[in-house]
Amino acid sequence: MRDTAALSEMVVKEKQRPELRRRFIKNRALYMMILPGFLFFVIFKYIPMGGLVIAFQDYQPYNGIWNSPWVGWKHFERLFADQMFVTILRNTLLLFFLNLLFYFPVPIILALMLNEVRINIFKRVVQTVVYIPHFMSWVIIVSISFVMLSMDRGIINELFVMMGFEKVNFLMSTEWFRPMYVLQIIWREAGWGTIIYLAAMAAIDPGLYEAARIDGASRLRQIWHITLPSIRSVIVVLLILKIGDVLELGFEHIYLLLNSMNREVAEIFDTYVFTAGLRQGQFSYSTAVGFFKSIVGLILVISANWLSKKAGEEGIY
Amino acid sequence: MPKKKVSTVLAVVTAVAVMAGCSGNAGNQVTPTASQNTAGDATKAPEDTKKEPLKITMMANLQTTDVPDPTIEKMIEEATNTELDIQWVPTDSYEEKINASFATNTLPKATYVGNLNLLRDAIRNDQFWEIGPMLQDYPNLSKLSPDVLKNTSVDGKIYALYQERPLSRQGIIYRKDWADKLGIEAPTTTDEFFTMLERFTKEDPDGNNKNDTIGLADRNDLIYGAFKTVASWFGTPNNWGVRDGKLVPEFMTPEYMDTMNLFKRLHSAGYMNQDFPVTVKADQHNLIISGKAGVYVGSLGDVNALQPKIAELNPSGLLDVQNRVAAPGKEYGVWAIPGYGAVVLFPKSAVKTEEELRGILGFYDQMMSAEMANLTRWGIEGTHYTVEDGMAVDISERATFEREVKPYLSMQIGGISTIEGFLDLKREPLPAKAEELIKDNDNYLIHDPAVALDSAAFNQDGARLQELIKDATYNYMLGNIDEAGFQAAVDQWLKQGGQKIIDEFNASYAAAQ
Repeated sequence: MRDTAALSEMVVKEKQRPELRRRFIKNRALYMMILPGFLFFVIFKYIPMGGLVIAFQDYQPYNGIWNSPWVGWKHFERLFADQMFVTILRNTLLLFFLNLLFYFPVPIILALMLNEVRINIFKRVVQTVVYIPHFMSWVIIVSISFVMLSMDRGIINELFVMMGFEKVNFLMSTEWFRPMYVLQIIWREAGWGTIIYLAAMAAIDPGLYEAARIDGASRLRQIWHITLPSIRSVIVVLLILKIGDVLELGFEHIYLLLNSMNREVAEIFDTYVFTAGLRQGQFSYSTAVGFFKSIVGLILVISANWLSKKAGEEGIY
Repeated sequence: MPKKKVSTVLAVVTAVAVMAGCSGNAGNQVTPTASQNTAGDATKAPEDTKKEPLKITMMANLQTTDVPDPTIEKMIEEATNTELDIQWVPTDSYEEKINASFATNTLPKATYVGNLNLLRDAIRNDQFWEIGPMLQDYPNLSKLSPDVLKNTSVDGKIYALYQERPLSRQGIIYRKDWADKLGIEAPTTTDEFFTMLERFTKEDPDGNNKNDTIGLADRNDLIYGAFKTVASWFGTPNNWGVRDGKLVPEFMTPEYMDTMNLFKRLHSAGYMNQDFPVTVKADQHNLIISGKAGVYVGSLGDVNALQPKIAELNPSGLLDVQNRVAAPGKEYGVWAIPGYGAVVLFPKSAVKTEEELRGILGFYDQMMSAEMANLTRWGIEGTHYTVEDGMAVDISERATFEREVKPYLSMQIGGISTIEGFLDLKREPLPAKAEELIKDNDNYLIHDPAVALDSAAFNQDGARLQELIKDATYNYMLGNIDEAGFQAAVDQWLKQGGQKIIDEFNASYAAAQ
């Protein structure tokens, strides 16, 4: 009896509490589960954003954030006035679009092809082999391509000579930089990129294919009318996420490829920050450049998301 | 039973006797030592109030791949009564690590840096101890060269101890067997140098009837590669030159243009590796080692590494070294570094009191004694090296040496010219000759007059602007731009802040005169 009295008392109290808190208490186990992730984002993603204020200061490490003098837009003015600014912005955006245009479809095509393979062992072997380059560092990939493309006994140039062509200066030309960049990305990342698509394809109801086969659809028709539409939302989400990384073109990769002869087409925000800012200990300027880059990225993500919603897809938020 | 009892008693008695004997002995010995100490050396603490070991944290550059073996560290600690806490950071990420520690205010008490420029502002802002006036109180530290200390100074004040480096190691390493086969003498003029490269390319010096050799192997480094050394032969100043009493950047001199022209000719004629602007050091070395190229311009000390590797592949492959080369109508000269490799600074954030600083300086003073210097450079006598004719001979395996001794080299202060009794390496004839030439270079040095000068514009934009010049220099040598194009780049440099750098350096130069 006493138990039920206590219980009813609790229920009454519960009802008096606001709806939100009541739900919170009811689902506290679930909330506890998201806590680590939530803390991760607060501690490692949101709190460090406070550091962006140094873009508006003349930051000196020994003065700290609290004591460094405020200088307003000085560093942004310097960036926009810089001779290289237009070049850097153009290179960054251009490399990004090339990346999107040529690299992005490759994992989808590769995944479609792998999905059609019947012999399981063959499929797994190929899958593993195409993953492997992802685990090599850019230093190794760039070094390998240097050895192959060098004018001094590089294997590709030697082949050209044997076939009676002129040697091509791949490494130090403005024309070859972009293709080289995109091809290296495809070589390293394409296999890895297939994972999510393959997972999405595995989730497609086999009944659909059966029905299509009964209706006499060929393999290509099945891909076109069943596989692709089924993974369309995954493609869109990945595309928007990719755009989110818009300006993360890979500092390491570009920095390794960059030299005096191709700087005009290869210098991007990250490499510029490194030479003009960090190497000279100019933390504020580097931060200002990075800040600007992030804003460009944010604008692109928001517009991509907006476009995808317009097109009737889900978007990422 | 009784037997056992007796033996126990005996044992106890003996033990007591022995102990008494010992203590008596010790007592007798201790007294004079202690009194001697207090009377003799006032700066040293008396032994009987043995001080707590001094704790020193340091961050040092790890040039090897393995974590160092602590044996030598222990020996240093014992000899200097310190407790060292060394944080080893690989060379590649060292500068980054310094920046990060600086930003988070966690610099160690003894901070080694390669490039003072990064910290110049901080030094001005009183973040590091000025040690100049204290050095005279230490018998060994006071032997550090005033000239080199001046090169490390900021606004005329000395903040750092330095690691000595030879002022100029630059010269030519070439294939002696090739030269002999073709009847070429060691080059002494830039024309002879050019001819040597031409003939090494064209006249099949390796005798395999294939046109597969080139003259010069160069790399992607305008300073430690061939370029700067060849520029010296033409009389180009070292970064900055004094012309008509004013400081001028090297690339605005006609000699710089002459140097670029030479490289342009070499490159277009195919007498050097075509990809030199993107060739890394290891690949450059491989060109020499594999017998594809016959001439190497750079650090003469590299002959130590190159010769054995060539001999491995080709027993008749023989190298020789040469230094004095000059352009027609010019005297031989060679650019010099400021005489130090790395320096060690003492941050005020870590070293709180002058007393503590004095303790650390005392430690480095001891490190500059012959005994400690040899220990950090060569290891333990008998284990890692022996002494022959007053010179050190390595006796340990290379891998053992790299793990047990070599890392401690980056703790060293001073060097062979400032530490009496510091052993030199006993060398094979060829490296010994290279060493001779390095000493010979000391008579022909071209110094950088702007080393200790200061320009705020240079600190802010210098490195970025230098990229403009570097790009233009490479593009000119590869024939992508002509003289007008190079001039346009220099104009860009002037316009984007170079003029300000020139003016500020000149003002600083005038003030220092």
